[in-house]
Order: sequence, then structure tokens, then C-alpha cells
Amino acid sequence: MSYAELHCFSNFTFLTGASHPHELAEQAMALGYRALAITDACSVAGIPRAWQALKDSPVALITGSFFELEADPATRAVPSVPTRIILLARTLTGYGQVCQLITTGRRRAPKGSYQLFMEDLETHQLDDCLCLWLPPAVEQSDFTGALSRGEWLLRRFDGRLWLAASRSLESDEEQRLHRIRALAAQLVCPIVATGDVHMHSRQRQPLQDVLTTIRHRTTLDAAGHHLFQNGERYLRPLPVLERLFPETWRRETLVIASQCSFRPGELRYEYPADLLPPGKTPAGWLLELTREGEQQRFPAGTPLPVQALIRKELALISEMRYEHYFLTLYDIVRFAREQGILCQGRGSAANSAVCYCLGITEVDPRQVELLFERFISKDRNEPPDIDVDFEHERREEVIQYIYQRYGRERAALAATVIRYRPRSAIRDVGKALGFDPNLVEQLLNGIDWRDRETDWRNQILDKGLTRHPRVANQFFTLVNMLLGFPRHLSQHVGGFVISSGPLSRLVPTENAAMEDRTVIQWDKEDLESLGLMKVDVLALGMLTAIRKALALISDRKGQPFTMQDVPREDKATYAMLQKGDSVGVFQVESRAQINMLPRLKPEKYYDLVIEVAIVRPGPIQGDMVHPYLRRKHGLEEVTYPNEEVRGVLERTLGVPIFQEQVIKLAMVAAGFSAGEADQLRRAMAAWKSHGDLTPFRDKLISGMLERGHDEDFAERLYQQICGFGGYGFPESHAASFALLVYVSAWIKRHHPAAFFCALLNSQPMGFYSPSQLVQDARRHGVMLLPADVNHSHWDYTLEGPEQCLRVGLRQIRGLSQRSAEVLCQQRPSTGYRSVQELRQRTALPQRDLELLAGGNALEAVSGHRHQSYWQLLGHESEAALWVSENREDQDYGADDSTVRLPAPSEGQNILADYASQGLSLQRHPMALLREQGHLRHCLNARQLRTTESNRPVQVAGLVTGRQRPGTASGVTFVTLEDEFGNINVVVWLNTARQQRKPLLTSRLLHVKGIVEREGDIVHVMAGKLTDLSHLIQTLPVASRDFQ
Amino acid sequence: MLWLYLHFHHLLLDHIARSREDQAPLAIISEPSRRVLQACPRAMHQGIRPGIPLKTALNLAPELVMVQADDEQQKRILEQQAQWLYRYMDRITLYPPDGLLAEAGSLRRLYGGLPQLREQLTRALEERCLNTTITTGSTPMAARLLARAGMPIFTGEQQLLKEHLEQLPLEHAGFEPATVQRLVRLGLSRLGEVAALPAAELARRLAPETLVHLQKVQGQRPDPQSCWQPPRHFHQQADFGLAVEKTQGLLFALRRILVELENDLLHRQQDTDSLVLILRHHQQAPTRMRIRTTGPEHRAEAFLNLLRIRLEQQPLVAPVESLELTVTRFLERHTPADGDLLGDGVDQEEAWHTLVSRLQARLGEQTIRHLAPAADHRPERAWNAREIRDRSRSTREADVEHLPLRPLWLMRQPQPLRVVPDTWFAGPERISGGWWDGEKVLRDYYIARLPEGQLAWVYRDCHDGWFVHGWFG
Repeated sequence: MSYAELHCFSNFTFLTGASHPHELAEQAMALGYRALAITDACSVAGIPRAWQALKDSPVALITGSFFELEADPATRAVPSVPTRIILLARTLTGYGQVCQLITTGRRRAPKGSYQLFMEDLETHQLDDCLCLWLPPAVEQSDFTGALSRGEWLLRRFDGRLWLAASRSLESDEEQRLHRIRALAAQLVCPIVATGDVHMHSRQRQPLQDVLTTIRHRTTLDAAGHHLFQNGERYLRPLPVLERLFPETWRRETLVIASQCSFRPGELRYEYPADLLPPGKTPAGWLLELTREGEQQRFPAGTPLPVQALIRKELALISEMRYEHYFLTLYDIVRFAREQGILCQGRGSAANSAVCYCLGITEVDPRQVELLFERFISKDRNEPPDIDVDFEHERREEVIQYIYQRYGRERAALAATVIRYRPRSAIRDVGKALGFDPNLVEQLLNGIDWRDRETDWRNQILDKGLTRHPRVANQFFTLVNMLLGFPRHLSQHVGGFVISSGPLSRLVPTENAAMEDRTVIQWDKEDLESLGLMKVDVLALGMLTAIRKALALISDRKGQPFTMQDVPREDKATYAMLQKGDSVGVFQVESRAQINMLPRLKPEKYYDLVIEVAIVRPGPIQGDMVHPYLRRKHGLEEVTYPNEEVRGVLERTLGVPIFQEQVIKLAMVAAGFSAGEADQLRRAMAAWKSHGDLTPFRDKLISGMLERGHDEDFAERLYQQICGFGGYGFPESHAASFALLVYVSAWIKRHHPAAFFCALLNSQPMGFYSPSQLVQDARRHGVMLLPADVNHSHWDYTLEGPEQCLRVGLRQIRGLSQRSAEVLCQQRPSTGYRSVQELRQRTALPQRDLELLAGGNALEAVSGHRHQSYWQLLGHESEAALWVSENREDQDYGADDSTVRLPAPSEGQNILADYASQGLSLQRHPMALLREQGHLRHCLNARQLRTTESNRPVQVAGLVTGRQRPGTASGVTFVTLEDEFGNINVVVWLNTARQQRKPLLTSRLLHVKGIVEREGDIVHVMAGKLTDLSHLIQTLPVASRDFQ
Repeated sequence: MLWLYLHFHHLLLDHIARSREDQAPLAIISEPSRRVLQACPRAMHQGIRPGIPLKTALNLAPELVMVQADDEQQKRILEQQAQWLYRYMDRITLYPPDGLLAEAGSLRRLYGGLPQLREQLTRALEERCLNTTITTGSTPMAARLLARAGMPIFTGEQQLLKEHLEQLPLEHAGFEPATVQRLVRLGLSRLGEVAALPAAELARRLAPETLVHLQKVQGQRPDPQSCWQPPRHFHQQADFGLAVEKTQGLLFALRRILVELENDLLHRQQDTDSLVLILRHHQQAPTRMRIRTTGPEHRAEAFLNLLRIRLEQQPLVAPVESLELTVTRFLERHTPADGDLLGDGVDQEEAWHTLVSRLQARLGEQTIRHLAPAADHRPERAWNAREIRDRSRSTREADVEHLPLRPLWLMRQPQPLRVVPDTWFAGPERISGGWWDGEKVLRDYYIARLPEGQLAWVYRDCHDGWFVHGWFG
């Protein structure tokens, strides 16, 4: 006896299927099925994962999809029962046909749903598909209605139509089977046994019930008949099937299975050949372009080692047939260059000599030879992975270019599968079990997800969600099962799939939430497992800022100045970074990075590569930071257990820092095979959401012990692997980022005015607010000028030979860019002389004029902000005049008002500046408060810098940051700002718990604490916290709260 | 004129707090924005302020009790306050959701001075655990603004009141937020500064309503107040002079009152379904009865029938000196459907109501129930007997059209199957579910004929036990 299951929902039929595709696949294997079809509702999203599990097994994977078809639009007025069918792909052609139909249905409906009509079966080519019909239930349709529908289907699928009969042992089953038999007899059409499978095992019934409950937005108690009557929709053992189905029905499953020969492994994906000039071969054209690039990159002749590298790489590209991939990337990058859009590639294949020549990356092979050893691995057979970053303000142009160049039929974004995380799982299961939603929210809020000592499960138990052990048990079991279940497909940040033929033959596309965006039904991992390539088109704010800064420098120099013109390895730049002076610098501007810089003391490019990668959960959790620093500064001997390990770790002084090293180490130190290492890499990538690394732990540690490594090293490596999970930072990316670190740091060091001007004109981006950037600019000697209708432009500008930085009108909240531009266009060379002139020339709306007055940008033409505003209001709309019913008042002339409003005080000005622009060029509010004597006994940021360790101090400042990094258990870092800079406060968990109120709500915080210093890094360990917000109650200072 | 304003800081929270045993901090939450709207003093003490995100609030006070904002409820509570305050003052104006205004001049005389009045009110408010600011003002608006700004001035001295008013911060001055923003941009921060500007210039520069508002505050513009009327219940009393000993005598008086009631209901265009009848006896506690109809009703005859049945059922404990009939519950009148030429539907509906009312009057409300299917796969939970009145609540109404095949007689307790059935007709039908409420079932059901000829619904449970669960006819 054998059997093939042909009707099976995985959890990619969201909130319906209660098992992962791989669970279904493994269960089918265990039960000895001949074949398993995954037939999700209008979707093939679960196929790659099932294929991954089944490709080397005796169970054949059949690809299909389930559809509910509405009556045709013309007759839709009469509500009718939808026709339910399953289409199975016979061959590759049939697979394409199914994908096409799915695409039609998905594209027609809003994100997450589909709509198909009976007539779609006529307009779509489906001759290579088999059709299983699930006739309507007896109470839904009378026999003749059902029969005519069957006849209609039979005409479309003559010889390829089956009636699907399932036995779920429900109350109406006998009638249903009777109906199916009668229909089969009338239609002369075979009946096939199917399972209507929703889960791999009967144990999943509770989860399936919960999913149904969530889908219907109800509770289990109220779900009633929405739930299935029993848990029979699982993959049943063969003896059970034998009892339930007549032999003929079972035999038909095998007949169908034998006809469906398509396997996902056959999918061959061709990169578009559009880019080839006529008569060229891909390899020839790539060689030609590389040669051209060589001449640009190495005008003095390509160094011999690089030549050899290029030859080696080109040969490998040829062998793997990746030419089109590189040509496609080249084409996109070329487009960006032509448009003046700054871009840069990263990723293992990006850091190659070929990519350098093609202009995809700027990492010079002469500078970092080490990196170029790894390129594409033939053994791993993984597609090259290259991310290209573009200026964030202009990435859309690149995306539009791709759509226009290849058409929407051939280019689409990869999906991101949004999965259940603990928070969402707890929330949804809680609702289904009927817990008070407010209580659940309360619990979720109270859980400390980063508390590694007490698992969130125990935390919930402690908080007494339920006292009922049975319910608590069910709750956790269900939450655990639900974790990692897909919820919906979202769009990947920028992963494009481009194909040579219509994409919908390869994988269905559906609508994304964003208008005019379509995503394919597979995510990054799926694409990888099927060997398909994607191009990542990402947005990076720093590239925007660098381009703008380079333009300003070019203006100043009177000649073009590009990234290539930035002098390499500039001592002054490294000196600046070593001081931790890095506000605004790419990647190394966070508080943690600022603290790391003086310890790591970068002095060359490769140090920056490490700097970028070291302040990450991986190295921190693996406790790799301190050993590295000790070795770098010669305080510890650099040793290697053996030569192989030296090969992997030499460039990081024997301490694994990068993701690649960890993987490689698993191979050379723990004896992982290439395949196992690859699995480990995938598990690491997935760990954050649903992966489980424990299976690798034993193997890793025992492997390392066997090879003579000590247990401590092994355990730390494992910890690091866990830390890398989800946050993995590979060297190949760090190398590209480090270039931008260097370039942005160089600009800051040598052209600070241009640097801050460009940063402020690229907001929002980066770590700091405009206010913080402006203060840092001043500390670097940049002269700031206020916003002024007679001098400012929309953007910040540099004025005069001193390169004074003029605040742009963009900083005035709510002001429209259009108005600002009109204002600048119409501005007479002598400037506006009065508000009247401004109003007449520009016809700006009253609202914008008021905003200008509020931003004190009218001071030059009409006096201080209060008086300017009073004047402006005097000319308000006519409606106001009519009300006064006094036409004599209608005097548009000059300043008629006799009212003289008092000039704003300094404090008022500061508050008004913050309200209007979020920053002030006046004195810092803390300076005022200090002057008023509110902050006696408090040290300022400058004094603190020279205060010795362990001294008790008092400090105060505006709270600009509150962070609880995942890597520092329980510690809250508070950043205070005063007129001299930032003060770093460390609040330990207990202090935080006892003083929640001042910690969480203060905008102006006073701290009593102890100074702790390490070199130039000074922290205040907080003791007593006091909220002083009442001193500045109306000061709007944005704070970065826990994120 | 002198006005008195009571501002309830958090009426809903106080109302809830006083019926709670614990001392948990309370806050009203706005559902869409997930922010705190109001916090009780205990919550404020823990740092919770209006406007902060719920997340922060929960970090500050993990045990916070969250209350959904409900304007309707708050208005009802406000009216309750007006009702008891009506004892102290007669010209009350409601300012929903959180304030009451009264004319203070006459009250002052009534209580012999402002301090006495204040003391009286404060005590009454404290008894009710209401956090309140009481102020006086020379205009209704002035009193209201001062109270809402939390400036508890209680005086009749006009100059003092004026000074307080001038000190009022602009954000509490009752202007539109946009107007406040404009005034702040002019460097103004107190109401006095605004009032000092020339009115004409001010009017030209700000919305006309701003000046109107300002003038109302200052008393330069009339600000008529609409007085709150206490709810008018239907209440009629009959005094018998000589005590009535027989039910019949009561009915005679009741008939008149019920006709009055019918007229009253007609006037209101409303119905009722609940009457309270109080019979007062000589030297004995009054007899109190509540009569309910099954549906909205207004006909005197219908009421009388019910009352008659009830009075016949319940013998008088003593002669009745007077009776009072009160109706406090009024319902929207049910309009009969138009175009029902034959009128059958209405009649049947009426007949049904009448029947049920009579049965309930005779047997008690709780004893009459009707059977209904419930949406649950477990047979023992697939039906229930609910109160007749409970028609609207259809949380788990099953689709009556597609009920599965079930025996008419379902046994309360399944009986062990002790004989081997002769014939098996249908099955197995498998039912598994209820794992979530502790009454998990896993059974295979069959229809079988037993040797004695009965058609039984039997099942086998997961322990292989066999049971009869019901009988088919």
C-alpha cells in the first residue's frame, strides 16, 4: 500500500496551516508516503522550504496550489459558493502556468489576499496542470448546480480532472461522500483520496484551533463552529488511510503523483541578456569592461598580483556562469554614476578585483589584499551576494530605472517573511485563550526580553498571568509552537530579482503594502536555496551626505573633488578618531563606538574595518573585545593553536571578530564539513527569529576539544556564534563600510563646515539630531549664522571665505520647501526691506510667513520675533477685517500698529528657537540655568573631562539619550547634554529600578554619582537621580528613548 | 453676579476608585493613541502624567489599572453629581465631561456666607471621594477657567477675582490651541497681557471667536447659561383616606394612574418595561414590588393586567393607606412596521409578548426560558436554555439551518452502553475539542439499534469506553 498526499496546507497559508513545510515533509518521509503536494492557498511560498527537506529523499515533492474561485464578475450579483480546486504542476511548464494564475489572483487584490474568477481558468493557459475539484457541500449547493459546475470544469480539464474526497469524520460526511460518488458517476471522472491536511500531526489540533481563532479575531470560547469538529486533518499513517479509503481512490493518488514530474530543482534561472551588445559573449563583454576599468583604476599599469587575481576571478565567474550577474550590477552602478548618484557595493563577491575595476566597489585590492582571497566559493555553490548602497535620497531613481529597464514583468522585490516573535505570539495566543488584552499588554511591557537569567516564560509565570496550571501550560506550549510561524509577506528592503523571461513563470508576484511595488512569494533564504540570484539595492544616508560634502569642497576648491581624491591614510584623520571625536562620522558615531575608538586607537584602514565590526553583539557576547585590545596594544602575546587557525585569525591577532572567521573556524577548528558550516551559517542568520543553535553546540565543542582546543575557547566561540545570530557582521561588509568611515572622518577633520553642512542637509539620518550636530560643529570652530529671509536658502549653505554655516530654512518646522524656494527666487539682490515687500513679491501663504516669523527669520526686516509676528497678524485674512466691520481699519500701509510688544528675553528666544527649529544658536539652556544659580555644585562636561576617577560628583543636563543595549545586561546608558558637551551616565539595574520615575520621565536630569574613567573615557556611575524638568518645562528636547 | 464652578479632576477615576478595595494606581487610556489621558493622584505620585505613552506609564507603575475613556459614562456620572448637588443649589449648568456651574449669589445668602457654603460643599465632596477644585468667578467662564487651571480662589471680592484672572496662564485660558500658539509667539503668556492689548487690534489679528471668548470671560458680553433639569420620572401617588383592604380597591386607583401613565408615555413618545409600586401601610414597612413587562409597553390595560395577576398572587400583608407608582425607566417606542396590511405579524408578536408576560408574572421571571442551539461541536454544549429577555445577546448563536444530525433526546449524563447493538447505521463521527476549557472530549459517535429496538446515539471515548448519549425517536 502506498499513498500520495495531494492536498496539504502549510503554515504559508497564513493562520490556517499549523505546520511548517519542513515538518510536513519530514512527517511524509516518516510515514512512507510516495509523494507530498504542498498546496497553499494561491501561493507557492512554502515550496522552497519543503524542497529543502525533500530534495534528497524518496518522497517526491509535488508543487501545487489551492484556489477558491468566485463566479464570474458578470454574474457576481448572485452570491454563490466559491468553486474550490487544487491545481498541480505536471512539468516545468505547468509550474509556470500555476505561478501565472497565482500572480493574476494576487495582483488583483490588496496585499495578503487574492481574487480569482471561474473565467480566469479560461483565459489562462493551464493545459499542463492537473485539477482536483473539491465539490461544494450538500448544504451549499444542490446537485444540479454542483453537476453543472463539474461539467464546466471537465470541459477545461478533460482527462485531467479528479474529484477530491477527504475523510475528516465529520457529521455531514456520509452525505458528502454520497454526493461525490454521484457526481463522479455522472461526470465519468475518477475520485481521488485527499487529506485536506492542515497539520503534520494530530498533536497540532490545539494550534490549528488557535490559528483559526486568531484568523476570525475571536476567542476559543466564542469560536464555535469556526473551529474544525476534530483534529483529523493531519498526515495520517498508511494503515489508517487503508481503512478509510477504497483502494481505487488511493491508487489514483499514485496515478497523479506519477504524472507530476516537476521538481523545484529544475528551476533554471537566467539573468537577463539585454545588456550584451550584439555579437558579444557574456564572458568576452565582461572581460572587455574589466579591462576598461583596469585602465582607469591603474593608469600606471595593473600590478602583477592584481592581474593574476583578475584572471583567477574571471575564470571562476565564467565557470559558475555568473557573468550576467556582474553585468547586471555593472549596469545599475553605471546608471547611478551617470546620474551622479553615489553608490558602493559590499559583500564577499563585491570585494573583488573585478568589482573594483567595474566600479562596483572602491575597496582597492592593493590596500587590503587579504580580503580578496575569499571570493565566490565553488564548493559552497552559493550565489554571489552583493549589496549596493545608494544615496538614500535618490535610491528611488535607481529602483525606477530597474523597473523601466527590465519591466515589471521581469523585475520584482524579494519578500521578507514576517514571522511570529515572542511578543506577537504571546499577544495573539493570549487573545485566543481569552486573557484580558490589557493584562497581556501589561505583562508584555513588564517583560525584560534581554534578561538572560530569567527566561521570559518564567517572567510571565512570576507575574501571574494565570494561576491555572493547565492554562499556563497550554499557553506556553502554544506560544512556543507559534513562534517562528509566518504571518505575512512583506517587501525586502531592496533585494531585486531580475529574470530573462517573465518572472511570473518562475515565481508568483503579489502586491506589497507600498503602492506600485510588487514582491515575489519567496524570501532571501528561499532564493538562496533554489540558487537564484538577487541584487540588493539599498539606501544609505551617509552616501548622500558625502556627495553633498564633496560638492561643497569642489565649490571651494574650484575644481571637482571626488572620493578618489581623498588622500589615503591621513594621520590627522586617525588622530581625530583616536580621540573619539566622531560625532557625525559614519558607523563610529554611537556612544559605544565613541568609547571604543580611544581604546582601539585606529591608525590604518584595516583598523577601521575591525572597529566597525567589533562593537557588535557577536564579539561582545563572545568576550572577544578585551583579548583583541590587549593583543593590539602588545599586552598579551598573540598565539595560535595551530597553523590552520593562524590562517583564519592572523589578521585579527588570533581573535575571531568577523562572521566569516567564525564559520571558517568551525571548519578548521571543530571539523565541520563545508555543508555543515553552511547549515551553521543559515542557522545563525535565522537564529534571532526561529532558529535553534543548540544542535551545533555539542558538535562544535566536542569537535574543538578533539582537536586539542581548550574548553574555554570553545565555549566563547559558541557564545559568539549565538551573538552573531541575526546581527552577523561580515568582514566583506565592514571593509566597504570602513572606506566610508574613513572618507567621512577625513571630511570632518579637514572640511568641518562642509561636513556639517552636508550632514544637516541630508537629515533625517545618523545618530544625532540637528541640534547636537550644530553644537558639535561649533566645537569644531564652525561659525553658525541664523536663519534669515535675506540670506538663507532651503538648505544650509556656507557663506564667505570663513565658510560660515548659515542655517537653512529647511530647519523651520512645517515650512514648505516650495515656499522657501519661491522666497529665494524672488529675493532682490539687496534683500527684502519689509514684510510688505516680502508678501508682495512672493505671495507666500500667511501660514508660511508666520512660521518664518516664529523662526526669527524676519528679524532683519521687521524686528524681533514678537513684533514681526504682530505685524504679520495685522494683515491676516479679510475675514478678520469684516468682523471688525470697520473698513477704515483696512490700511495695508506700513506698520500702523501703535502697539509695541516687549522684546523676547534670552530664555524666551531659546524656547521659541527650539519650538520652531529644534535647535538654537543662542546660549545653551544649561548655561542660562547655571547663570541663574540653579546648578550650583554641578560640574559641567568640560570640568568632568579632567576630574579624576572615583570622585563623587554632581552633574546635570538635558537628557538626549536613554539606551539599554542588549549587550549590557540591565544597564541603562543616559546621555546628558550641557553647554560644553555630553556627559555619559551609567545607571545600574538596581538604581534604575528604585528611581524609575526620574530616570524615565526627566528631560532635565540631575545626577549624583561617582566618576569612573579609563583613559579619556569618563562615565558617571549614577547614584541619586533628581528630575529638574520643571526648570525647562516647555523646552522640547527630543530624547532617544529605549529602542 | 457671582458664579461657582466645580471642576472634577478625574471623575471617572474617582468613581471607580471608590468602589475598589485595593489602592492600585488608575489611569484613563486613550485607545487609539495608547497614551494616558488622566491619572489618579496615586498614579501621578508614581510619575504618570497625562500625555505620556502607555508603555512608559507601565514602566513607571507595572500594576497600573487601565480604564478606557468613556464620555457617555462620564456624562452620566456628572449628572449623578448634579442630582445630589441639586440639594444645595438650584441653578446648575452641566459642563460635560467634568464640570458643574452654579449661580453663587443666592447660595451665599442661603448658607449664610461663602465660607459656610464652601465648607458644606467640601464636606459633601470629600464624603464622595471626589477630587474637585471649587472656585468662584465674576462670570461663568471666569469661574470655569480658574477652576480648570487649578487656582482655587473662593471669594466674592471682584478685585481679587480680576487679579487672579489676569494671572491665568494662556494655555488655561480656554482659547483654541492655534490661538494659544499665536499668542505665545507674540511673547504673551498670561490672560492679563492679552486683555491689555487694544481690542480692535486684537480682533483684527486673531480669530473673531477669540475676542468673543475674552469678552465673555471679562463679562463684557452676555453668556447665558442653560439650566439643568433634574430628570422627570413618572411618579404618582394615591391616598386612600381610609385604608383599602381588598386588591380590587387598589386596582381602581391604579387604573386611573395607569391611564395617566399611558398619557405621559404618549407625551414622551416612549415606552417602559418596568414599574415600581409601593404600598404604604399603617405602622408597617411598605410593600415594594417591581413589575416588568416582556417588551416595551405603554398601554394602561396591559399594565393593569400584569398588576392584577401580581396582586392576586401576592396577598396584602396589611391594609394600604397610600400607593405610589414610579417609572424611572423609559425606552424608545417601538414603531410598528408599515404596510403590514393583514396585521398578522404585529398581532402575533403582541400575543407572544402577552403570553410570556403573563407566564412570567405568574411563575417568576427566571423560570421561563427557551431553548436555542449554541455553536459548539461538543453535543452537551451545542444547546442552551436562555432567558427570554436575552434575545439580543447572540454571542454564539449557531446557524440553525445547518445543524448536524443529533438525537432529539440528549441525555444529561451519558449512560454506559451495556448491550451489544444489533445494527450500526452511521459512523464514526469524530468529535474532538474543548481542550481549552478543561472539558476536552475525544469521541467517535455512531447511530445504532439496540436489541430492544431503540435507536441510540452511542459513542466510544478515548479510553475505549462505550456510552449511550441520546435517543432518536
